Amino acid sequence: MTLIGTSQHGWAGKILLVDLTAGEINQRQTAPYAKDYLGGRGLAARIAWDEIPASADRGKTRDAFDPENRITIATGPLTGTLSPTGGRTIMTALSPRTYPLTWYTHSTLGGWFGPELKYAGFDAVVISGKADAPVYLEIMDGEARLKDASDLWGLDTNRTQLRLKERLDPKAQVLAIGPAGENLVRFATVQHAEENAAGHSGFGAVWGSKRLKAIAVRGTGSVSVAYPVDLLSEVTRYGVFKTVPVGGALEGSGAHQRRPVCSQACTFNCLVSSYEETADGRLVPGQCVGSYLMAIRGNQNQMRATYYKGGGVEVPAGRSFGLCEEITLKEGCNQLGLDLWHRLVMQPWLVACQQRGIHKIRGFPIAPTDVFWYEAFQRQLAYRQGLGDLLAEGLRRAMDTLEGELPADLIDLGRQLEFGFGFPAHREGRFWDEEPLPFWVISAMMYASESRDPTIGTHQSSLLLADLVLEDRELARRQFRIVSRKTWGYEEALEPTFENKAPVAIWSQNMHMLIDSLPLCDFAFPQVVRPFKNRTDWQASEDISGDLEIDRRMLRAVTGIDYSREELTRIAERSFTLERALLARAGRSRKLEETLAPHFQLPCRVDGTLIDARGFSGLLDEYYTARGWDLELGWPKDEVLKVLGLPEVATELRQRRAEWKSF
Amino acid sequence: MLDARHILIEADLCRDCQACTLACSLFHHGECSLELARLRVNKDLAQHKVEINLCRQCDYPDCIAACPNAALRYDEHGRVRLFEEECLQCGACAGACRFHAIFYNANLGMYLKCDLCAGRPGGPACTELCPVGALTLIMEEG
Repeated sequence: MTLIGTSQHGWAGKILLVDLTAGEINQRQTAPYAKDYLGGRGLAARIAWDEIPASADRGKTRDAFDPENRITIATGPLTGTLSPTGGRTIMTALSPRTYPLTWYTHSTLGGWFGPELKYAGFDAVVISGKADAPVYLEIMDGEARLKDASDLWGLDTNRTQLRLKERLDPKAQVLAIGPAGENLVRFATVQHAEENAAGHSGFGAVWGSKRLKAIAVRGTGSVSVAYPVDLLSEVTRYGVFKTVPVGGALEGSGAHQRRPVCSQACTFNCLVSSYEETADGRLVPGQCVGSYLMAIRGNQNQMRATYYKGGGVEVPAGRSFGLCEEITLKEGCNQLGLDLWHRLVMQPWLVACQQRGIHKIRGFPIAPTDVFWYEAFQRQLAYRQGLGDLLAEGLRRAMDTLEGELPADLIDLGRQLEFGFGFPAHREGRFWDEEPLPFWVISAMMYASESRDPTIGTHQSSLLLADLVLEDRELARRQFRIVSRKTWGYEEALEPTFENKAPVAIWSQNMHMLIDSLPLCDFAFPQVVRPFKNRTDWQASEDISGDLEIDRRMLRAVTGIDYSREELTRIAERSFTLERALLARAGRSRKLEETLAPHFQLPCRVDGTLIDARGFSGLLDEYYTARGWDLELGWPKDEVLKVLGLPEVATELRQRRAEWKSF
Repeated sequence: MLDARHILIEADLCRDCQACTLACSLFHHGECSLELARLRVNKDLAQHKVEINLCRQCDYPDCIAACPNAALRYDEHGRVRLFEEECLQCGACAGACRFHAIFYNANLGMYLKCDLCAGRPGGPACTELCPVGALTLIMEEG
């Protein structure tokens, strides 16, 4: 057997280190990271722990726009191979979006950039410092150089990509920021191709603060595969145009309509992707929220789904414009480099203001249901003009600024809409997705313990199973008992109760870490339940268990290393725990996590269930205990860190605990 | 006996997942690469249009006519093949192909052309994997 981390297959073998302040570029070996962290999000967490210095100022966190912040763009051993959805790329840094403190987090994006980076000879790029003037990084088959980007600064993300492709090679793949990133909008994206974005964590603004406009990469090399025949047969067997198991997969019609892919090597039929055609005959791809915003059929108002009422909180329905208008807004957002998700919270909040008779904020008129106003508003966000300058801080921070100026219930509504540490509500069972008990409880534990909206990477690992409950509660319960026994070792894992859900939450998080490190897409992996041919197929089945070993077999075929499931879980736990330690370093603790409780006191939109503050605290007790974290701060205990091979992390956390107590 | 004769290309259905090129390079070279493949899928980002360059198994192949060393010829199954060991690397075939479906790989120093996965029991890997029917294997009496 090949020793872990020494395989010639899978990994490119090198990491590119770019210091923008000094204008220097260096390289280092990937192997030491691959051994303990595989790649992607795990590798990036190790680099962040070792290299983003903690603030020298005791009790203060380092700012996301500090030149010492580091952006890591990382691929994994499956990137660039035939492994379906392996084309994804991970980006991490201290985020300007997290609230109320700055901490380290991650975003992932699909597309073709990660594979091209590997074909150019690199597994990852780490960027530190700050350039004197706008630059872009050009990577060409093992060589990298920084180039003047003064002619690109100010361009939108699409034009930037096209210009660099024209300059370097039409086949180059480009990551770029738009005006929103340049102007330090806290939810600015790093864009790629038409629709791919590292969107949620505001990394576009981190690029902007470093004056990094783009990275263009061209590679003519390859990724070596240890067992080509095995990989080919694995993909043929499992990968070809199977509808991803849940999330609308029961809808027979529409499942096989023509859909775009969002990452290289994705051979799945993914129901969160769609094409729409513009009036002038262009085909526009949309993925996830982008697809959702475009999904206007007839007079259907998709944005109406934002309506929620319960527990004294009312979120108004948003307003969908026509298809052409929505495509224009969506493309505009991508080109400006804004997170598309802003629409789902900002439009309803502005509508709520209007409903309260407020038609101006700080003297700026608001008309959120007028498409021309909204289009102008998006530009104002990106350029930080007028009202846009205030809301470019994110709804959550803007509420702190507007407190006292607007009625208290509107301020509270804004805070609720971005309740998750500054991230828009998502799969939490209230404002957005229909998530009955116990799924929102699993979400709640993940929200409390992670650095960002955590549910975005755990669609398949548990949360999309909620769809089956909504279809047929009793059938789903019967089927889930079998799935639960096989997956988590006990039948009650998905029973609609509040008890004993930590094992599912932790498993989902570990799987999320693993698929972000290989990487794969969370809409397709892990395959907790098998794909269904149609509704009848699902209804006629008792055992709907999927194949949870596809990832392991593909990893073996690519790298030649026969990891056991236990080894992979250990790697995922190590990486996740390291991320938790990074949160501890930034000052996150149980006290802050308890502040999420009020959101879960609102009744669930589909079944009315809720949890009070004491109950929420009980969820934290259960979760922290299951993770081996202490109950006071929610930080990993010494013994857990030692078992995971992180004694140096234990030393630092011990020191920080002592400081914490002396405050 | 039925024999594989050509691959029908419907580029309008393609969504640029590159499973075909990756499977091609994996079968022929044991590596995943867009440059080692015997076909190319190119997306025009400005137009969101995809172009696929792949051998059409022409009835009157320009490549065969152009080759000065007869390294391009029909095999026993009637497939137009490039016999790489006989190739003089002059590039005449690539220049002659109106479908731009013969590729020079500088890393290997050789020309690459689709051989319909000669020797693969299941037939061409690309048509087996293409999830959207942009590449379809057309069988004819051989």
